[in-house]
Formats: sequence, structure tokens, C-alpha cells
Amino acid sequence: MIDAIPVLLRFAIGLLFPPFLLGIIAKTKAFFAGRKGPRLLQVCYDILKLTRKGSVYSPTTTWIFRVAPLVFVAAMFVSTLLMPFGALKAPIQFYGDVLLFVGLFALTRFLMVLAALDTGSSFEGMGASREAAFSCLSEIALFLNLTVLVILSKNFSLSTLLGGYTRSSWINAGPSLILVVISFFMILLVENARIPIDDPDTHLELTMIHEVMILDHSGPDLAFILYGACLKLFVLGSFLASLLLPFRFHDDWINAAVFLGAMIGLAVVIGIVESSMARLRLNRVQSFITVAIVLASFALIIVLSRTL
Amino acid sequence: MNPVWLDRMLAVIVVSAICLLGISRIGSIIKLFAIQSLVLSIIPFLMNGPLGVHRIALALVTFFLKVIIIPMILFWAVRHVAIRRDSPGLFGISISLLLGGFLVGLSFFLSSCLVLSEKPFSDLLIPSAFSTLFIGLLLLISRTKAITQVVGYLVMENGIFLFALLLFDVTPLLVELGIFLDIFVGVFIMGIVINHIQNEFDHTDTSQFTALKG
Repeated sequence: MIDAIPVLLRFAIGLLFPPFLLGIIAKTKAFFAGRKGPRLLQVCYDILKLTRKGSVYSPTTTWIFRVAPLVFVAAMFVSTLLMPFGALKAPIQFYGDVLLFVGLFALTRFLMVLAALDTGSSFEGMGASREAAFSCLSEIALFLNLTVLVILSKNFSLSTLLGGYTRSSWINAGPSLILVVISFFMILLVENARIPIDDPDTHLELTMIHEVMILDHSGPDLAFILYGACLKLFVLGSFLASLLLPFRFHDDWINAAVFLGAMIGLAVVIGIVESSMARLRLNRVQSFITVAIVLASFALIIVLSRTL
Repeated sequence: MNPVWLDRMLAVIVVSAICLLGISRIGSIIKLFAIQSLVLSIIPFLMNGPLGVHRIALALVTFFLKVIIIPMILFWAVRHVAIRRDSPGLFGISISLLLGGFLVGLSFFLSSCLVLSEKPFSDLLIPSAFSTLFIGLLLLISRTKAITQVVGYLVMENGIFLFALLLFDVTPLLVELGIFLDIFVGVFIMGIVINHIQNEFDHTDTSQFTALKG
């Protein structure tokens, strides 16, 4: 019971802040388009509205279809517990939690793809195949980035890789950390189905990837998926924010404020990217991910040539 | 002067070379080359040692030639032949990006084998020079449009420039200015040649040169 406040603060941020991020992105896009845009809390209202509704299940679906949204939310929540928020320490940390972090992402992807196939609809099968193809490419880039950080910090725990310890790394290995940041930002766009890859707001079946997989979910299931997607954006974003904030203050409230400011800045950057770029053609997505892989491997090469 | 910033600039040069492999719009290719040259012209200021006339002249000539004049000539040529896009060429974009990553790794390996009489001022200098050189070569051989091939040649030359910074203290200024003159004349002539190719064949696709035309 010594420092309960930082842990509670972390829980509050991790539970309540994620839906704001999508609101900030939407506001930024609306600003660039000259519109007023939806309310900042629109995603929260959507989620609350969905939880009050009933679910419709197709008779072809099995228990996998019902379990997948729950596992999605649960796994995303556990990964927020593993992730340090800037200088706020992670509540759960152990040697090797990097692998658990990546494994949780793989688990949710696996179950979401299975659930999409479970519906028996050809649209969902198409979305599932796209998601599987692109995510297995982006996982390579994710692992390469994590390898760079592991080599730099000589530790297998997320809290040591990130979270205020990276200051000396920024001085010694600045180029490779910049490359990791760029590459990770590209992975973040791919994983969260943001605009150069996939547009979360369109419902044109021929081009969408993530949206098409969740077409058959309704009611509370859809609310879980929406909230899980917010959490996913938040977790990956806080990875970037912790990497970019190599300093810490003694007061936890200031740390939290700095971290939230960085996350808001990140959401604005994503909004700017989304409003200034057009969506890539589907067969160019792999080139986009390849750029992320090449940048990450370049970062790895620099780190290896320095340390060995 | 500041090794941290020197390293970052070198990384930017290699990354821009990699990005050149992934772009097919010719306007963006020329702009990215100009950005790469801009970073290149900053590098002489970041090396350690006193800031002499030699160094400033080198940076200024690089800036005016590669950031302003050569992109202008290239844009002029593009306007005249009215092309917007290059076809992905021999390998396709993803494969050439992966090849680029492989070449970066290869150049780090090669430079670790290289035995030098004196230590360079940054251990990233030789690998990034090799990488830029190789990626320029890849651009030169894999693309089909003549203008992209010219840019590939220029990227190769940027790599040679980085490598020549090693011999900075012993090379006379006159020799380096001569090299710049060669590049300028080469690009100028290529611009004119591209126009002639366009007038003669109605396209600038060099892969079709082997086909007979009556």
C-alpha cells in the first residue's frame, strides 16, 4: 500500500482515456476538412448505446464467434497492464513480457480471423484473408523493432525497454531509435486500420480490411470490439510515447500529464496523416509494410554494427 | 563537430535512398533526391576539424548544384517529355525495397572487412556511403524510364561524395570542382538526350530500345 496512487492513476488512464483518442483524431480530421465534426465523446456514446442493445447471432456461427470479442478486449486490457505509460511504471512486469505482449496481439488476431471465418460469409472470409496476410507482414517489423530495443537495453522487459530509461540510448543510438520510431508509427497505422492502409469509416466491401471482419457482430459484442480497438490504438500509441519521452519527473501527476499530452499530440499527428493522405491501393499495402520492415532492419544493422 | 548529429544525418541519407526505391511518381523522386542532397550539403559542416574555405566551398557548390540546378534541369526535362510516373521496373516495388535492405546489410558487412590506414570520423560514414552507392546502382539498373536512371546515377554519385569525404584533407579543391562539373555536364546532356529520345520514339522507356522501329 505504499504507492497506490500511481497504480490507480494508471488504471484510470488506461480505462478511460482510450476512447478520447479516436475522438481527437476525428476532431483533427474535421478541422482539416473545415467541418465541425462529431463530439469528443462520440465513441463513448456509441459504446454505451451498443451495450444496451441485444445481439443477433446467425445460426451458422458457433461459440468461437461469441468468445472472440471477449478475448479481444481481455487481451488488449492485459497488454495495457504490461505497457509503461511514459514514466508511470507498469503494474505487471517480468523478464520476457515483450513476448507475452506480442503473443497477446497474435492471439486476438487469430481469434478475430477465426470468428470472421465462422460466420460463413464470403465477405468476412475475404477480410480475414487480408487481415492475416498484412498482419503476418507487420509482425516481422514489430519483432525487428523490439529486437533493436532489446539489444539497446539488454533486457527483455517492456518496462525497461521503454519508460524513461531510454535517455542514454537516445544519445548513443539516436539514428536507430529514430528509425524505430518511424517504423513503429507505420506499424501502428497498419495494425489499427488507419487511413493509408484502411479507412475505418467507409463501408465499401471491396477495399476494407478490418471493418469487413466485424460486419456480423452486433450489440454488446460490437461494443467490446470498438472498445478493444480503442485500447489497441492506445497501447501501441503509448509504446511510441514512452519511447519519445526519455525523461521523468518526481511527481506522478506531472508524469501523467506529460504522457497524456504526448498521446494527444500523437492523435493529432495521426489525424493530420489521415487528412493529408489518400488510402493506398490494396496491392500497395505490402510495399508500405515492406518499408517499415526495411527501416527496422536498417535500425537493427546500425545497432549491431555499434555494439558487436 | 557533433558526432551525434552527423550520425543522424547519415541515417537520413540512407533512409531517403531506400525511400527512392519505393516511389514511382517522378516528381517525388526528383524532390526526394533534392532533399537527400540538401542533407549531404550539411555534412561537411558537421565533421570535426577547423571550418576552412575548402569545406565551405564544397558545401555551397553541392547545395547550388544538386539541390537547385540539377533538380531544375530534371523538372524541365520531365515537363518536356510529359511523363508523370515510372513503371516499377524490373523487380516491382516490394522486391526492390527488400533488395535495398539487403544491400544496406551487405555494405555494413563490406565496410567491416575494409582495412583503413586511419579511422574515419564516424563509423557510420563508410557503410552509409556504400549503401547509397549500391542503392543508386539498383535504381539505375532496375527502372526503365530514362529520368529515373539519371536520378539513380546521381544517387550513386552522392554515395561517392560521402566516400570521398574520407580523403577530404588530401584532395585538392580543384579536383572536386572538376567532378562537380562532370556531373553537371552529364545531367545537362542527359536532359537533352531524353528530349531527343522523346522526339524520336514518342516515349522514354529504355527497355524498348532493343525493339526495331521502322
